[in-house]
Amino acid sequence: MKSRFIRKILGGLSFTSALFVFQACYGTPQDFGNDLFVEGQVKAKISGLPIKGIKVSVADNLQYVTTDEDGKFSFYTEMIQHLALKFQDTDSTLNGLYAGKDTVLADVTENVYLDIILEEK
Amino acid sequence: MISSLKRVAFRKFRESEVQLHELNYLFWECTTRCNLNCRHCGSDCSKDYSYPDMPVDDFLAAVDTIKERPENFTVVFTGGEPLLRKDLESCGRALRKRGLRWSLVTNGHLYDEQRHISLLNAGLGALTISLDGLEASHNWLRNNDKSFTKVIHAIELAASSGRLSFDVVTCVNQKNISELAQIRDLLVSANVKSWRLFTIIPIGRAAGDQELQLTDDQFAELMDFIALQRKGKQIDVKFSCEGYVGKYEPLVRDSYFFCRAGINIGSVLIDGSISACPNIDRSFTQGNIYRDNLYEVWLNKFLPFRNREWTKKGKCASCKDYKDCWGNGFHNWHGDMNDVLVCHKEKIEHAAKNQH
Ligand code: SF4
Ligand code: SF4
Repeated sequence: MKSRFIRKILGGLSFTSALFVFQACYGTPQDFGNDLFVEGQVKAKISGLPIKGIKVSVADNLQYVTTDEDGKFSFYTEMIQHLALKFQDTDSTLNGLYAGKDTVLADVTENVYLDIILEEK
Repeated sequence: MISSLKRVAFRKFRESEVQLHELNYLFWECTTRCNLNCRHCGSDCSKDYSYPDMPVDDFLAAVDTIKERPENFTVVFTGGEPLLRKDLESCGRALRKRGLRWSLVTNGHLYDEQRHISLLNAGLGALTISLDGLEASHNWLRNNDKSFTKVIHAIELAASSGRLSFDVVTCVNQKNISELAQIRDLLVSANVKSWRLFTIIPIGRAAGDQELQLTDDQFAELMDFIALQRKGKQIDVKFSCEGYVGKYEPLVRDSYFFCRAGINIGSVLIDGSISACPNIDRSFTQGNIYRDNLYEVWLNKFLPFRNREWTKKGKCASCKDYKDCWGNGFHNWHGDMNDVLVCHKEKIEHAAKNQH
């Protein structure tokens, strides 16, 4: 503990906090960014069954995942104040036909679990 | 006065870092396969394709030996070309489940929109892509006439992500030294925030290729270019950690030269060897994950990395800058180790003499 404290003092004296941010020649920058782990399950309203093949996407961002056999999905994404997610049935009648849904997660600071219900069309 | 005080404080700081030797940065050489055939192959990575890719579970078992992990501990996937592996995402997710961060170094050739999305979904946090010049000089170094178009697309994708801590690296050589300002403009227009420049170590295929090495005058020109760019605000430009640059310390980086190999940087190499940066001579291997406990090796071995006195030979033996340099970047010691392979400070001094 003590040596870590001394290190901070010496680091501060000799330069800036940049000393604690380093990378090797062929390495990447360090990652100090915040992100969020979003996971959940999508089910049908009437049947209550999980829905496969629903596209879960992040608004204003290229990211998306597709729900698996159990209607489950998970991904990491940038931590922003209002995270807008879209749930869309994009495979036509392949796994049934469902109305889409938009959800906005406000001020989420931790990992989130979402239970999403889609209405049959 | 202030600058010499800073220097003294920095020396002390460096000693305290050696004492602590926290493992912050762990390279994983996850494959030595590659989809390109670069002119400088072997100067920054292994060029031995005979090893099979290491199974993810073997690597994770080694990571699990690390008992005390600093908050900013990062695993850096490197190669070969890591994107040739299809299971990077599952390894990345397994690392994130353990509370760890991970990042990736790539030549960008396979970095398309689908891969960008799946890597982000799996919790990728930082990324480095190599761009080695404008179209002709990049494709020349990469020995591939489609590489430039692909890498620019990859750079644009990566720069569009608010999540990634992303930078572009360029290895400066005879063909691209005159293009640096244009490359900067290209990166700025692609919204890149951070650019790192390095030179090619004369080992591997690069050893006998004069076009890959900068003359002393060109090296000084590179230092002047970086120092000047750092006064501007458009893009954060820096010289890599590769060597001590005498009078340019600390004008070309965020802080003074400090090679952290074996002090904060470790690696698990393709055959399970435990070392530091992958460009270091493989004879410095400190153990093997298939025989040894990675963390015990990190804590108890790595002596040549933490005490660099052995580098006081050849031109370093009587060098007045030794206290600040410690025999240059560790990767500059190869083969018979009788002398340092490159002394950046010497190049700068020669260039200054040439001017008079
Ligand atoms: S002679 Fe050795 S110690 Fe001195 S500046 Fe060059 S590389 Fe560093
Ligand atoms: S050996 Fe040292 S100088 Fe070379 S890449 Fe690693 S940290 Fe940088």
